[in-house]
Amino acid sequence: MDEEPERAKRWEGGYERTWEVLKEDESGSLKATVEEILYQSKRKRVIESHGQVRLGMMRHLFVVIDCSRSMEDQDLKPNRLTSTLKLPVCDIMHIQCKVICFVSPSGNPKKHIAALKKAVDTVCVGEPSLYNSLNLAIQTLKHMPGHTSREILIILSSLTTCDPANIYEMTKVNIMYMLLTFLICSTDNLSCSLNVRVSIIGLSAEVRVCTVLTRETGGSYHVILDESHFKELLTLHVKPPPTSSSSECSLIRMGQYRLENCDFTLVGLSLGGYFCPQCHSNYTELPVECKVCGLTLVSAPHLARSFHHLFPLEAFIESPVEELQGNGFCQACQGELKDKSIFTCPSCRSVFCVECDLFIHDSLHCCPCCIHSQTAS
Amino acid sequence: MVEDEVNLLVIVVDVNPIWWGQQAQREPQFTLSKCLDAVMVMGNSHMAMTRTNRLAVIASHCQDSHFLYPSKSWRTGDSGGDDASSSGDGKYELLAVANNLIAEEIRNVMSRSKGNSTDTLLAGSLAKALCCILSMETASSFVIYDVIKAAEDCARQYMNFMNVIFAAQKQNILIDACVLDSESGLLQQACDITGGLYLKIPQRVALAQYLLWVFLPDSEQRSQLVLPPPAHVDYRAACFCHRNLIEIGYVCSVCLSIFCNFSPICTTCETAFKIQLPQMVKPKKKKLKQTM
Repeated sequence: MDEEPERAKRWEGGYERTWEVLKEDESGSLKATVEEILYQSKRKRVIESHGQVRLGMMRHLFVVIDCSRSMEDQDLKPNRLTSTLKLPVCDIMHIQCKVICFVSPSGNPKKHIAALKKAVDTVCVGEPSLYNSLNLAIQTLKHMPGHTSREILIILSSLTTCDPANIYEMTKVNIMYMLLTFLICSTDNLSCSLNVRVSIIGLSAEVRVCTVLTRETGGSYHVILDESHFKELLTLHVKPPPTSSSSECSLIRMGQYRLENCDFTLVGLSLGGYFCPQCHSNYTELPVECKVCGLTLVSAPHLARSFHHLFPLEAFIESPVEELQGNGFCQACQGELKDKSIFTCPSCRSVFCVECDLFIHDSLHCCPCCIHSQTAS
Repeated sequence: MVEDEVNLLVIVVDVNPIWWGQQAQREPQFTLSKCLDAVMVMGNSHMAMTRTNRLAVIASHCQDSHFLYPSKSWRTGDSGGDDASSSGDGKYELLAVANNLIAEEIRNVMSRSKGNSTDTLLAGSLAKALCCILSMETASSFVIYDVIKAAEDCARQYMNFMNVIFAAQKQNILIDACVLDSESGLLQQACDITGGLYLKIPQRVALAQYLLWVFLPDSEQRSQLVLPPPAHVDYRAACFCHRNLIEIGYVCSVCLSIFCNFSPICTTCETAFKIQLPQMVKPKKKKLKQTM
């Protein structure tokens, strides 16, 4: 606790003169400033990139969702649990990693999405337990091979945690203290020997235990402001994190499946399936590790899905719209440029509007006009 | 029928001039104008099915892609534009406007076309279509992209094409493919990943029939129809050293490049790999039995 940065002790430091950020325009409305702030935060995500850093492409990510009583709070519509289980979490499922979320570990996103949809109806009772969930995650993660990055993402909504580690009946303050000392020991365990990175997204307020936990393991801790901020924070976790120097790099033996149609059906089995090229055992979903011969089975699109992290698209140059000569049409969507700034791709010099720029950097990961000039040259 | 369901059909037509020029000599009954007639029939049928259906047509050229319909001047409103082109034969006005616009725009595109590559630039057209559809701001329930492909694939487009396919999958957009000449591995993968239909047309002259019977029904109706079975997609990747298609290979965990043989250093990212050596077993000292 002594090596904590000075600034964080003075929590008021982050709140000095916040009124100066907001400025009123002539009619007294704050709308322009608020839009500007939102706009800057959108752009920040695009510009921040790590540069020439080795990324941990193969990830084992354990997502823990708090299902305690505090998830029934209505501050996120319709209630916190439903809001968490909706699309933002499903976006993480689309990345190439093994996600475990109270189903068995699997690489197939559809299973997780189905499980999440079913979980919307669970009744939230009781108190969450950080210790138990971390324990469970570590049990599974410690068997994962060394070249993958091991991560835990906890979505915590309650301000307390109820753990079997403390056996005394004490007030809440003392419970936190006991847990803190226990967790510091266990985080040493986590960070040194197992290289597990724990990140937490808090739904209610900042909790000291979480801050310490994430700081010691090298993860990130954020508390959400509203739903769109929640979605942005989850999207931050989709990007592969830079690896630590102690992780191993290895060549992994993988097989491409062969898809064949069976001529017969049996009760409970489906027509066709994926055959392991080495031992011909049949699987209905991919990616999977063959239980017979141990070969990892993938298909090329699974690997291609992650390529955009390795070859990231450069951020476009922003400039005010008045500088544009010629007709004001966005080259991607053919719409008029009505926003106050335009974006130019540094390689092909085409002009895009704000929405297209956001879409290109978030989902598309390639400039539509560069594709044309690439092939023509 | 739900009232405010908007089905958007986007037809991407490959108008590579070299392929179509050769085609006109090979088979004069089926030229680019016949192909576009079939496309217009399909577009008209789609718009005529429900009032809320919408259409967009894109021509994909070897260097660029152009929106044939709707054109730039149409973007301001649904019914803005040409009142003067009401057709004389009593056709529904929207269809007449659409047909005339498409015909005029394709003439513009082909007359000013330059370029001599034999490949098709599909990735670019699909990317532009995605941006445009997104900006239309309609709450489209279903969007289907119908790609009519003539010339061959361009291998350099692989990465961009895959990015576009994944972006489409995220937006729940189906990509169908109607292939006129050579089989296209890229489009087969696109249809498989997004859940669309892939079909290589056996008889090009009957293009309109195939379009109407196979590609016009939307995704809900397709489950009730007997449609051509999904094509067998070859998902084997090519190794980076020899460019052979392999079934079992080695993948570098850092840069995801694929090799057919184990090597201690990755040639793409120059990472040294940890090699699993067999463990050294100390030879046990055996007591020699004394033979008597």
